[in-house]
Amino acid sequence: MQRSEIVNQINATLAENFELKIDQLKPDSNLFTDLKLDSLDAIDMLVHLEEKMGKKLDVEKLKEARTLNDIYNIVEDVLK
Amino acid sequence: MENVVITGRGLISSLGNTPELMFKNLQEGACAFRSEPEWRKYNGLETFVSAPAYPYDAHALSRNVRRSMSAMSEMAYLATLDALNDAQLTIGRDESSTQTNFHRPNHLRVGLVMGSTSGSPIYLEAYFKKMFEMGGPKGQMSTSFFKVMNHSVATNVALALGYSGPLISPSSACSTSSQAAILAMQLIRAGVWDVAVVGGADELHFTSVAVFDTVKASSKNYNDCPQDIPGPFSLNRDGLVVSEGAGILVLESEKHALARKAKIYGQLLGGSYFCDGIHMSQPQAEQMALTMSEALKDANISPDAIGYVNAHATATSIGDEQEVQAISSVFAGRKVPVSSLKGHLGHSLAACGTIEIIAILEMMKNKTLIGNRNVTEVSPDFSGVDILTQNKSKDIPYVLSNNFAFGGMNTSLIIKNQI
Repeated sequence: MQRSEIVNQINATLAENFELKIDQLKPDSNLFTDLKLDSLDAIDMLVHLEEKMGKKLDVEKLKEARTLNDIYNIVEDVLK
Repeated sequence: MENVVITGRGLISSLGNTPELMFKNLQEGACAFRSEPEWRKYNGLETFVSAPAYPYDAHALSRNVRRSMSAMSEMAYLATLDALNDAQLTIGRDESSTQTNFHRPNHLRVGLVMGSTSGSPIYLEAYFKKMFEMGGPKGQMSTSFFKVMNHSVATNVALALGYSGPLISPSSACSTSSQAAILAMQLIRAGVWDVAVVGGADELHFTSVAVFDTVKASSKNYNDCPQDIPGPFSLNRDGLVVSEGAGILVLESEKHALARKAKIYGQLLGGSYFCDGIHMSQPQAEQMALTMSEALKDANISPDAIGYVNAHATATSIGDEQEVQAISSVFAGRKVPVSSLKGHLGHSLAACGTIEIIAILEMMKNKTLIGNRNVTEVSPDFSGVDILTQNKSKDIPYVLSNNFAFGGMNTSLIIKNQI
């Protein structure tokens, strides 16, 4: 899967499940301060992304993620 | 001992979300019953009628708060907000409100007491359906449990308000909110709290209806014409209609209310909650009578003072009969006026006790008793009391209100008109 497609799919998933607007979703958006997500949302994001991508994601890496770009990278690594 | 008064009212009911609108609809004999054709797919279910909540909108709440709420928490929150606005009180952490004249009490002197029959039935179904399908917790959302835990309503309301303080979440099905009111009354009387926000909420789901369907207590002969369902105390009554909603009251010590010049709607003069310890589902007249007598004793008034009994009566065969028998014995031959609002509103389970208190306060204010709806012939067994089949103009200084629940849970409250 191309990086742009991964980005689109992740953005669509986040927009749908966390009531975010697509144009809010920039690679350098901070998950917590810009997008106002918290630890519970992070758990749900993991569930939604694993379901969407059909792959198990690395929880330890996700715990370290701070920006959307970190999420794109984690998912891209798994899909490689 | 402190007197306990009612200074705030908030509700989501099947016939309106303000006390005034609900009362207007009750006065006009409106009925919230509707058919539920979708329920015909459930194997074994025979009741296909409900009384859904009047439309409401919880979208003003932030997503972070709404994500752990099911419908009953949303309804409870909106009703709580209305009750606190009505009382001109705030109990939350947010002090940035632009509204004026808000009194801010000491949090340690405030209690929040509210509950529901169970955790969200809508999400209980979804939670366990997914659990069984996946063979375990895979795919569960982090917030699923916060909707299905038993104290979901109370904690969601606290979170949405930013309330920190004592919180109790009673759960006794159809007597939940009346029990909450009595418990809070006792704590305010004892001087433990100055203010309590009390009530209950429940949401509509086929499993709630199935409970009554299974024990043959729900209406099933009028599935295609629900407006024709016979009202409580009818000779041809065939059972109850499940509703949903939230009823919330602000209770306050009279001293506290007078000190801040609060509007007082009525006084909670007395109450009692007694478990009969005899039968899970079969109402017991003697035990109901004992509960009513204890409430009267608690209020320190004689049955003669009571001008009206707001019955629990849900239009079940045995329930209505036992309640009338109990009322007749307490009032010893005096034909006290009796009606139930469940023929208009349906049975909102954990919410019904406090929704009915709000209706009683409106009846007192408007000097009008609401008669039972759709009673063409009163059961002849009920001649010991005055079963109201139409509205009646009457000044009512004192009302006795009953609510009963599975498990032999009996509650009675005495409300005094203070307007």
